[in-house]
Amino acid sequence: MEQKFEFRGDAKEWFGIWIVNLVLTLATFGIYSAWAKVRRNQYFYNNTYVAGRNFDYHATGKQILIGRLIVFVGFIVYSVLGAIPILGLVLPFLLLFLLPWLIVRALMFNARMSSWSNVRFGFTGKPLRAFLVYFLFPFLSVFTLGLAYPLVDRAAKKFSINNHRLGSARFDLDVAIAPFYKAAGIALAWIVLVLVVFALPLLGTVTQMFQDPSGEPTPTQIGTFIGAFYGIFILGFLPALFIYQAFIRNAVYNSTTLQGGHRFRSTVAPLKLFWIAVSNAVIVLFTIGLMLPWAQIRLSRYLADNTSLLPGPSLDEFVNRLEDEASALGDAYADLDGFDVGLPV
Amino acid sequence: MTPAPAAITGRYYPPGSSRQAEAVLHVVGDLWQLRTPEGEELITSGRAAIELAAPLGRTPRKITFPDGTLFESEDHAAIAQLDGDSSGAALHRVEAFHPRLVAFIVAGIAAAWVIWRYGLDILVAVAVWMTPPVLVEQIDQGTLTAIDRTMAQPTKLDAETQARITDIFAQLVATLPEGDQDRGFTLYFRDTPRIGPNAFAMPGGTVVMTDQFVKQFGEDDIVAGVLGHELGHVVEDHGLSQFYRALSIFVLVAFIAGDTGPIIEDIVLEGNLILSLSFSRAAEAAADRFGVALSHEAGFDPAGLAEFFEKMSRNFQGESSWMSTHPSPIDRVQAINELIKALD
Repeated sequence: MEQKFEFRGDAKEWFGIWIVNLVLTLATFGIYSAWAKVRRNQYFYNNTYVAGRNFDYHATGKQILIGRLIVFVGFIVYSVLGAIPILGLVLPFLLLFLLPWLIVRALMFNARMSSWSNVRFGFTGKPLRAFLVYFLFPFLSVFTLGLAYPLVDRAAKKFSINNHRLGSARFDLDVAIAPFYKAAGIALAWIVLVLVVFALPLLGTVTQMFQDPSGEPTPTQIGTFIGAFYGIFILGFLPALFIYQAFIRNAVYNSTTLQGGHRFRSTVAPLKLFWIAVSNAVIVLFTIGLMLPWAQIRLSRYLADNTSLLPGPSLDEFVNRLEDEASALGDAYADLDGFDVGLPV
Repeated sequence: MTPAPAAITGRYYPPGSSRQAEAVLHVVGDLWQLRTPEGEELITSGRAAIELAAPLGRTPRKITFPDGTLFESEDHAAIAQLDGDSSGAALHRVEAFHPRLVAFIVAGIAAAWVIWRYGLDILVAVAVWMTPPVLVEQIDQGTLTAIDRTMAQPTKLDAETQARITDIFAQLVATLPEGDQDRGFTLYFRDTPRIGPNAFAMPGGTVVMTDQFVKQFGEDDIVAGVLGHELGHVVEDHGLSQFYRALSIFVLVAFIAGDTGPIIEDIVLEGNLILSLSFSRAAEAAADRFGVALSHEAGFDPAGLAEFFEKMSRNFQGESSWMSTHPSPIDRVQAINELIKALD
């Protein structure tokens, strides 16, 4: 039977936690932010349920703080060494090889620090593969004018999902390439539509601006140009981004299985997702950020409501892998901000 | 007095397993015992060895036994009694939705304002100081290459004119304080029929002057004033500061407020570019001060810069893109005249 994901967080409750986090972070010159991050993750993980069992986040503030200090010291060392002429040219290449390793470490850390129904997640990806899917493939796809981008995106999704485990049960993403090209095609079609409707009438002004070689463009011309640029960005590119991501999310969830006969389903509607993001942004800006907790809860609830688990015979059979518990000590500080996969919703 | 024995209902999971079953926690003094609903003992432990997670909103309270057995319950009142006055419980009470949170809102807004007003400048200064010179040189090279590819052609000025202006440039650089002289100052001439008369500086000390500028404003004093102004941008790191300012705000918001969601993220970054216009006006005024002082010290007439703005406002009456990012030329002429008075 289909089990819906459920988000039980409450905007008022989260507001209290959020504002206290914020003030303590400011009062401690940012040091508390490590503990704030833990509290934030715990709130969102613990409030996300599926089949009556919730997620949990287990990292401690101390671990996050030490991890950040290591990154900070590393950055300073890098900057100092970068000032030495020859090293300065070599270092960026070294970093290119160090980064995949760090990313894999961070994914491992975040997986191990997350659990569902008392069983920890795990991550088994290799740095070499991370280098390929996050650095080399995207770089190469530039030479195909982005035509290969859906292939690159699918490789990245497969790398992330196929290397995650819940206890010893593996996730597996087996998805055809067609949905990726379809999503990209629809997103592109949206951009073209916006260009035709909104940008074509402005073409005259713009060509006039570039054809007139003498003197500077007039403020009206520049105003029109900037206005058109933002208009196309807001009405064209942003919705296209949401369209693409929503379609891909649905395709990825619907093609992912978890060992034990479990499957997933996602029913996110692209334009609804875009509407939530836009109205959230407007409300947050007009309340100088005070409605941000409400906006975050709203988005989490929408995503949870549109995600479900199609469980196999039993949800009681997941078990922790012993080696995870043994090796967790080794990279206790490998958190890398910006490389959290976050909750699977 | 020992508290009355409590019986708390909830769910339990065996160590490292997802198997979920109902259970009841019985507390007698220091001993905590987990039993099945039928009363069969599952595990018993002393309080000291048990991990009781801090309360967080209305999420289930989690109790972990020494062997890894997990018990969770929504009976918040009963567990709060067991918890007593731990620091986690105190934090939880502060976080409750209550009028007292208004104090936190006010403190938050006040602190955000202080950071905006003072903290950012410190952050930006540290970031500028930490930027490796190699990187700055690369920015200059990259920008110059991009300009050459898109809008500039090799200069058509004769060698004599070039030498005269390069000489003024060298004189100005030599007048700078010793520590600032070795910042890679180089002057380039470019023919840019589309942008018209202009002069600009890059963070690494590269200064570009267009042929159109030299033709329209070629007098020594004006050139010295404008080049002094551009050197001011470099010496006071205006370009890098502007970049770091926008970036710092972006990072600070993410760091303090958390994940703002996709659209606000864009607005914070782009919006800062627009906001940085007001910062760029302050930077222009600072560079004017610098240019006037420097050209005067190098032996030129400091009124050259003012003369430039007067000519500018006559030639391009309100019809210039220069206006949006720069203070009005008339105001600048006034400000410069006052600076010149102060010089004597």
